[in-house]
Amino acid sequence: MIPVKAFEPKIIGFLCNWCSYAGADKAGGAQEAYPPNVQVIRVMCSGRVDPQFILSSLANGADGVIVLACHPGDCHYKEGNCRALQRHSMLLLLLEQLGIEKERYRLDYVSAGEGEKFAQVITEMVESVRALGPLSVAQESID
Amino acid sequence: MKTGVYFCNCGSNIADKISSAAVSEAAKSFPEGTYVTIVDFICSEDGKQQFEESLKAERPDRVVVAACSPRDHEATFRRCLTNVEMNPYLMQMVNIREQIAWVTEDPAAATEKAIGAIRGAVCRVRLQQPLEKKQLEVCPDALVIGAGPAGMKAALSLAEAGRSVVLVERTPFMGGLPVRFDELFPALECAPCMLEPLMGDLLHGDYAEKIELITMAEVVEVTGFYGNFIAKIRQKPRHVSLHECIGCGECVEACPATTLNVFNSSTSERKAIDFAFAGVLPNAPFLMEDVCIRSRGEICRACKDACPMGEDVVDLDEMETVIERTIGAIIIATGAGLYDASQVVGMGFGTLPDVYDALQFERMLSSTGPTGGEIMTADGGAPSSVAIIHCVGSLDDAHKPYCSGICCQYAFKFNHMITAKLPEATITHYHRELVVPGKEAHSLFHHAVENKNSSLKRYNSIGDLAITRNSSGQLLVNFEGGADTVDMVILCPAVTPAEGADELSAMLDVSRDSFGFYRELHGRMDAAQSTIKGIYLAGACQEPMDVRTAMLEGMASVGYTLAGLQPGRTIEIEPITAEVDETRCSGCRLCGSVCPYHAITFNVEQNVSAVNAVLCHGCGTCVTACPSGAITGHHFTNEQIMAEIEGVLK
Repeated sequence: MIPVKAFEPKIIGFLCNWCSYAGADKAGGAQEAYPPNVQVIRVMCSGRVDPQFILSSLANGADGVIVLACHPGDCHYKEGNCRALQRHSMLLLLLEQLGIEKERYRLDYVSAGEGEKFAQVITEMVESVRALGPLSVAQESID
Repeated sequence: MKTGVYFCNCGSNIADKISSAAVSEAAKSFPEGTYVTIVDFICSEDGKQQFEESLKAERPDRVVVAACSPRDHEATFRRCLTNVEMNPYLMQMVNIREQIAWVTEDPAAATEKAIGAIRGAVCRVRLQQPLEKKQLEVCPDALVIGAGPAGMKAALSLAEAGRSVVLVERTPFMGGLPVRFDELFPALECAPCMLEPLMGDLLHGDYAEKIELITMAEVVEVTGFYGNFIAKIRQKPRHVSLHECIGCGECVEACPATTLNVFNSSTSERKAIDFAFAGVLPNAPFLMEDVCIRSRGEICRACKDACPMGEDVVDLDEMETVIERTIGAIIIATGAGLYDASQVVGMGFGTLPDVYDALQFERMLSSTGPTGGEIMTADGGAPSSVAIIHCVGSLDDAHKPYCSGICCQYAFKFNHMITAKLPEATITHYHRELVVPGKEAHSLFHHAVENKNSSLKRYNSIGDLAITRNSSGQLLVNFEGGADTVDMVILCPAVTPAEGADELSAMLDVSRDSFGFYRELHGRMDAAQSTIKGIYLAGACQEPMDVRTAMLEGMASVGYTLAGLQPGRTIEIEPITAEVDETRCSGCRLCGSVCPYHAITFNVEQNVSAVNAVLCHGCGTCVTACPSGAITGHHFTNEQIMAEIEGVLK
């Protein structure tokens, strides 16, 4: 019998340069192991994450997307993370209409000092998307 | 397009988890023209040399460095590109150490993840464009907010160094709090006498023409950044010309309207047009519009008619003005205030007569104050016993957990001054802790201890004390195990930031600590710098401090200003900014509403927005907000990020 390879989700993580990306580096410095399923894309601010980046990630084969921002009140650019939050709520409605589970698109906050939290959030995200299985949406509905 | 991927082994840090051979093999399926070079420690001197030599030999169009975090070495490798005459923005880093090798247990999984990340970077970097840093001229001049000891010292010293200074003061006079005091600790020096030469130099000294003093004014808007701030200053009308007034006070005599004088802690009256108190500088009265009977529609020009210097000195119709100034640095020297002692239960402040806070008592001691310097109770008599209560709201988690640092010293100063004026009066200090640090403070302390009419009583918690009044109307200080009858109580409340710090910090976007004091860039290394570049802190706006420390901090802020802003020297502006394509802009102004830095202006005539690259911080929020796709976020364009997404997912 040929062993069936378990499903490994592909996830895109948008990290802001100042807090969450630094938090990811902190996790690295502390050698906090976490699953390798999240590919990081660095942006200067979570406020730069365009809803089309999320949709494009899902259309190009990602099973989930996570956006990590500075904690509320700590944004390097004052309030970019608030914009990210507004866009997140809006996009969740759209994804719902497309039949995409809300667990596939998470927004969370990680500070530059929270390496442990970064590893934990990534682990949770991978587990929840793994539990959902591969994303299957008609290609044209995202395009 | 030729793309060079430089893979750093970082010794075994990366090599242990990520197979460079597998990366090289995978790169064969990367976009055409990609080559992979393995380096052992690319950040080392040897590594950088190898990197630069390879770049010179290969002449790639774009470069990917797969190594550590860009937060470590992006600047290092950009410099390498510059050294070989490549534009430094044609490089992309991939963080395969902190974010892959060090956090992935399985080497096969780490290698696969690294291949995806590097492929994403190769796809992205092909779309990156050369960018140039701009050089910006700087304005070497400064705005000083607050004309107390710290602000005055800073302003005069900057002027002496040849800089133009705008000195903005909220009240009608200079000198801050100490100018209202008669004597200062530790040496009982006359405060107005000590400050007068400094104030005189600011007004009429050799460098006075470099200093623009704007009294009765507040900074209401600041745009721009280090080297090029633009400040808007709103000045209330004084209704008296500072240039022409000779300070004779004829107008004061003539004025029919009176009110309480806040500069005497509202313990005396003043006219609608009056001096803040005797001897202030600038030596001119000011008119309180809301007190003037003209505000009630009555016709009066008594002050104007009384002026011996002519018609133009008093201007009853003077309006508020907004003054705009360009400066390179800002020094915040807004000073301190006192905690409202009525918030401390049992102190009787504001409800019992003859219970004063320290500022009220300083004015009572002052020869320019409401009693002309006489210590007297509300009924006009001299007190025969005075209680001085230390630590009112300080070192107290229910109020202010910090020690205010200066109260013990001025309390012992009070002891000395009371005994000098009323040799028979008994004085009792009720204290929680005693703080008399440094080489000078002990003198007043010992004087109080040796004073046969004074005593010290220690309490554990301010809750153990209660100020009450007995049936015969006498004040009682109740404490655990007893009560003292006194004629007057002086409270030493916690030192707090001055009123208005909320608005100013919000407007300047300067952080404050949980107590409301301005936060230092670093509490020990850079205690006179705020968290915003080019905005410095001086004096008690930052923490409770005495005049000596405030003056030193004023000089520290001058040091930063002079070191950082030199006439003729430029500063560099990062090119990672946003730019509006006017041909695609629909004029909806959404970008302007999301910009945290007021960096986007709207051209009404052409109905388009434009980004000021000097003010733009490059966050990209406007790029995402633009519904027309008219804004490009340089170095983080939609196309570049989309290419990276597609690349990593391939």
